[in-house]
Amino acid sequence: MTKTQKQNLDNVVRYTLLTIWLLIVLFPLFWIVATSFKPDKDWLAWPPVYWSEEPTMSNYNNVWGGAMEHTETQYAQSIQKPFTALKNSTIISFISTFLSVSFGAFIAYGVSRYKVLSETRMFQLLMLRMVPPIVLVGPLSLYYTTIGLIDSLTGLIAIYFITTLPYAVWMTKSFIDEVPIELEQAAEIMGANRWTIITEVVFPVIRSGLLATFLFILILTWSEYLVAFILSKTDAVTLPVELAKYEGSSEGRVYGRQAALSVGITIPLIIVGITIRKHLARGFSFGMIRK
Amino acid sequence: MARSEIMLQRTKRYKKMVLFPLIASIMLILGPALILQLYLSFNYYSIYSEGWWASEWYALDIFKDVMTDERFHVAIIRSLGFALASTIGCFVIGFGLALLMYKNFRLQWFYYIIFIIPMLTVPIVIAYTAEMILYQKGPLNGILSSIVGRDMLIMWITNPDIALFTVVLMEIWNWAPFSFIIMMAGLASLPKEPVEAAQILGASRIKIFFEIQLPLLRPIIVLALVLRFLEAMAEFPKTWAIFQGGPGTSTETIPVLIYLNTWYYFDWSKAAAMSYIVMLMMVVIILTAINILQKENKRIAQVQAN
Repeated sequence: MTKTQKQNLDNVVRYTLLTIWLLIVLFPLFWIVATSFKPDKDWLAWPPVYWSEEPTMSNYNNVWGGAMEHTETQYAQSIQKPFTALKNSTIISFISTFLSVSFGAFIAYGVSRYKVLSETRMFQLLMLRMVPPIVLVGPLSLYYTTIGLIDSLTGLIAIYFITTLPYAVWMTKSFIDEVPIELEQAAEIMGANRWTIITEVVFPVIRSGLLATFLFILILTWSEYLVAFILSKTDAVTLPVELAKYEGSSEGRVYGRQAALSVGITIPLIIVGITIRKHLARGFSFGMIRK
Repeated sequence: MARSEIMLQRTKRYKKMVLFPLIASIMLILGPALILQLYLSFNYYSIYSEGWWASEWYALDIFKDVMTDERFHVAIIRSLGFALASTIGCFVIGFGLALLMYKNFRLQWFYYIIFIIPMLTVPIVIAYTAEMILYQKGPLNGILSSIVGRDMLIMWITNPDIALFTVVLMEIWNWAPFSFIIMMAGLASLPKEPVEAAQILGASRIKIFFEIQLPLLRPIIVLALVLRFLEAMAEFPKTWAIFQGGPGTSTETIPVLIYLNTWYYFDWSKAAAMSYIVMLMMVVIILTAINILQKENKRIAQVQAN
């Protein structure tokens, strides 16, 4: 075989394998979107209906139009409030992420410049993230009930703040490490104090890194299920928890509505994630991978 | 004052400024829950008690009960097996894709964007979508049937022998992108000279891979495996939303079993004792993992410096 033939063969193999995985990735995504436009009878039809012949907007109207009267049968065991959930998810994830990243960045600066946490302590900080949340949510819900934080946005913000802190510290540290110390020394000579140096020299230099950290943690918080599921009842329900409520008492899951809601929950995350794709490896590896 | 003294003072001041709020928030949010967990493991509490403060002292009985509970043992083994299988699955696929893609080619950006989507999808959404797709008379069996040419009605969800495997498949779909992006970054940061030198000397591609690239990538491979394994141990939404531990007890991993004991059987004390044991177990695993990571992190930094 000549070299070009070999290269051609290589390319054929590569594109075939990649395309197979591409289809595996895309098919479930296609299925959510397709189902969100299907009328009831097509949800579980056999042979499967890939794209409905009578596409309908009724699922979207039902979920986002607040129109319970659209349903012919009585769905839902509990009252569905997608807009409350949307509002809650937005408030909780933005505030907790903001707190986590801003506090995390100050810790990270201290670690990077003054070693306020030793390397071992930095690794121990990862425990906050690595211990499975299930081992603590039970007692946590009792504690929250006792102090009146159960089913409150504050309670969820607090727990998300603490569990995403390791990501915030590690990720921002990886950016701060890359800021040349000479910049700070120059500012110091000009008479800037610590606070000014941090907020007006260091943070502006790494602002795209801070933004990436913020968006990365936002993705994690927005999609979290277990903690929100246990610490909320009606008032603090978030979108992933709301999704589980689309279940009929007699007809099982209401797939079309779930799909319509899923599309709404997922699209923003995919857009955000693709925007910060260059930083995802850094985020998920706690900044240990820097490219 | 000497410059070093000023630095020392500053360090101390900064340390106080950040460490105090850090420790305070951990103590305020997690401290009471940890104490309650320990308290419940020794005092019997159920929803029929007046409140958790009115529970009865059981000494070590609850722990004994949990330690001899076979369901708990099986759940631990199942969780470890699940985490191991899904970690390996994610890694093989993620690394495989990265190897196919790390050299520049025309549609690289396109494949990269599509391949990271699953890990950006909300896990609970994946669960419900998978349920639709894996239904006995659903699209996956539909596609398989048309490939094979006869009705393939695999019971992905209702067959207890397959159910856990189904969860592994979902986990792989969800998180193969994690291994993929980590390994892409790793491969991209490899120095080119050794590979080129070996090529000139006439080494085969397989030999170059196993003897040059793989050893250099080792720290990054360890990182990808360790982090994924720890996350898989905590997996809850996908397992719960479809299976609730069933059919039978075939998907009862640690998180599911603890959840069932707390909110289905209202056996809070048993769940607390289980959680305590699991927490200790996880702390040991995590400390080992952290130890490994701490060593590898230095090597990763070296590789990245190239």
